[in-house]
Formats: sequence, C-alpha cells, structure tokens
Amino acid sequence: MKDIRASNLWRPDGPPDVRRAVWASVAPPLMFVGLIVILTAGAATSSRGRLATLLVVACAASAAAAAWVSVRLVTHLRAVVRQRDAFYQEFARLSKLASLGEASCSIAHDLNNPLAIMNEEAGWLQDLLNSTDTDPEVTRREFVGSVEQLQIQIGRCREIARRLLTWTRDPEEPSGQVDINTLLTKTLYLVETELVATGVRVVKHLDTGLPLVMGSAAELRQVLLHLMKNALDAMKGTGGRLTITTARAGDAVRATIADSGSGIRPEMVARIFEPFVTTKGEEHGTGLGLTISLWIVQRIGGRIDVESTPGTGSAFHVTLPTAAPGTGPAPNGGTS
Amino acid sequence: MSIVKLLLVDDEARFVETLSKRLTARGFDVAGALSGPQALDLLRDRPFDVVLLDVWMPGMDGLEVLKEIRRLHPSVRVVLVSGNASITAAVEGIRLGATDYLLKPVEIDDVLAKVEEAFEKKRIEEDAADRSR
Repeated sequence: MKDIRASNLWRPDGPPDVRRAVWASVAPPLMFVGLIVILTAGAATSSRGRLATLLVVACAASAAAAAWVSVRLVTHLRAVVRQRDAFYQEFARLSKLASLGEASCSIAHDLNNPLAIMNEEAGWLQDLLNSTDTDPEVTRREFVGSVEQLQIQIGRCREIARRLLTWTRDPEEPSGQVDINTLLTKTLYLVETELVATGVRVVKHLDTGLPLVMGSAAELRQVLLHLMKNALDAMKGTGGRLTITTARAGDAVRATIADSGSGIRPEMVARIFEPFVTTKGEEHGTGLGLTISLWIVQRIGGRIDVESTPGTGSAFHVTLPTAAPGTGPAPNGGTS
Repeated sequence: MSIVKLLLVDDEARFVETLSKRLTARGFDVAGALSGPQALDLLRDRPFDVVLLDVWMPGMDGLEVLKEIRRLHPSVRVVLVSGNASITAAVEGIRLGATDYLLKPVEIDDVLAKVEEAFEKKRIEEDAADRSR
C-alpha cells in the first residue's frame, strides 16, 4: 500500500500502481482462507467436522469482506487519480490563458513605445508645417529625419505583430512532432520584454541535427516558458545569464534551461515538483507550475531533472522521447 | 512668468529627442536623460521644476528613480509616463509621491496641461514655504 499514500497521489509521477495495490490487499486474506481450508480438510474427517466447516465458512466470509473493502478502496483511488488528472489538465489550460494575458500586457507595452515615437514624429511634422519662420533647408532635414524614424518604428511594430502571431497561430493538436530548437527560439520571444528589462544575457547552444520530439507544441511551450520564467525569477535584479542548450541524450532529446541565479537549497530540490511547494512566496507562485510541467512531460514519456547549486544557479534538463521515425515530416514541427 | 525647467527621462532615445524638440518649440527649457542614474546625475547638477519620467526602463526602474527623486529633491514635481495600459504602476507612483501620470502615446496638449499644472503646484508650495519663513 506504500505507493498509494495520499501524499504521493498529488505528485505527478504517474498514477499509483493500482493493480499491485489490489493484490497487496486481496492476496493475504485469500492465502489465509486457503491455509484454513487445507488445515480443516484434514480435521473434517474426524468427529469435529461440523465445527471445522463452520470455521471455514466464517474465515471465508471475513476474507471476502476484506477483499470487497479493498476493491472499493481501489475503485475510489482510481477515481481520485482521475480527478487529479482532470484538475491538472484544467490548471494547465488556465495557466496557458494566464500567460497569454501576461504576454498581451507586455506586447501592449512593447507596441506603445514605437507608437509613442511615431506620435511624436507625426506631431513634429505637423509643428514644422504650422511654423512659418524656419529655414527651408533645416525644415527639409527635419522632415527627412522624421520620416525615416516613422519607417523604423513601423518596422518595430511589424516585428511585434509577428511575435504575437507565433503565439496565437499554434494548432491545438493533442500531440504531434515538434522541432525543439524552433520551439525554444519562439518561446524566448515571449520573455523578450523581461529579458531586456532585467538585462539578462541569453546564450544558446542548439544542436541543429536533432530529431523531432513527441508532444504537443502548445503544451511543451508552456513547460519551456515556465522554466524560462523561473530562471528569470531566480536571477531577479542580478542581470545574469540564461543558457539554453539542446543535445541528444541516447534515443531522446534533451533541452536544458540554466540560469546563473540564486539556486535552490538542497533540501528544497527534492520537493520542488510537489504541488503547492513554492520558493517565491504565495503572492508570486502557485506552487503548481513545476508540478504541471512535470505532469505534461511525463505523460509523453519524458522526464525533468534538476541540478542546482545555491548562489551559482540551477539547470533544468527536459528529456523528451523522439517522435517515431518514418512518420514523415512534422505536421506541426515547431509550429512554424 | 519664468520658463519651466523640464527633464525628460525615457530609455527610448528618439522619443526623448523629438518630444524635447516639440516642447522646446513651445517655450520650455528641456533636458533629456536616457536612464534613471543619468537623470539623477542631471538633477544633482542643476535645478529642474518638473520631471517627465518613464515608468518602465531597463536597469533602474522608473518607480525606484521616483523614490530617489522624492528623497533627494522633494521640491521637484514628477509626472509619470507609462507605456502600459494597466495603471497599477501609475497608482503606485502616485502613492510614492508622483504628481500625475500620462499614458503613452502621449498627446502634446495633455503633456502641456499636466506639466503646467505640476509647475503651478510647485510654485504654490514654494510661495507658501516662503511666506511661512
């Protein structure tokens, strides 16, 4: 019964082994009944046969009751695991919406900066048209400068619109084949505002010869985005370096997101995937981000490993199985 | 009436440049800074009446700059400029002692109105301080 302790139930390390639990609880009473039957079978030939039969019936009844309770318990546990999975699924969906909300906030800010400049340039052109006492040569120079600026800022707006589209255009396929390098690069766009604001430097070591990996691009992006945001939080106010690495790991592909931040205390490393465990304080973390990330990755047969040194930084290794070979080019590879 | 001495602080260099030109043409004495520390240096070197301060800047955040200005130069009036549609930062800014706030992109008439108003408040405050002396 060790595997189905309530505390383990919420860990996303796969559902508890229900079949083993059934045997663990049903087998001992059954074996006990068998033993009694054998023992009393020998005794039944004697004059005390009736008493022995009564004993067998009593034991069999109690064993059957025990087995019935066990089956009920296991059925209940199955339902709890189903509820847990439904909860994680819903939370994953909600946190995707939340990150879309956050992203639109930073995109609005990014858009307002070039718009503010365009607004001033247009206003300045208006000012020049309204003024009568300026040197025509100076006016011409100012016009050229402002029009050039308008074009530059329009280019910035266009770039932002492109970023926004990479977010919304993703197909919502349950699973497919994903180019992890493209996905990482596109996920980086989504934290670009934070990167600039915090002065964090990005170092990329991407192995370009990697096979496609299993999974849904939307779900995997959520995992990567979460790990990147964690990395940025760990480096809060220190500048620092975000290192993104991809490499082959045997048959699988490994993506590593490493930061040069505060690191995780050794006693916490073992607990960070547990639900509702957060090091960020209740206002900033739900304690479910890593839990959901692990749940997503494990469902497709992958894993997440952590290395962390307090004061030096942390590295999260996401190992993902490669997509089955021979299934043709990716239908939504990297969602390009 | 004396000329308003205005400091524009924004990490977008071209925004500072062009808005400065437009405000200079409207009779203000304008200087620009591209970061919080640069703004604090300028404020230390010469007097200003009003600071137009961008809330979201890399490195030193606008609200931190605001705190420093309020601490070191309490008579200088600060009008925040936010590129973010959310006004949470603006509300926080007012709590920290900013006089008012503007949302980007800014309308030149709004800028003029808010700067004049901030300047007026500063003058009234100074007159009151003089009289009580």
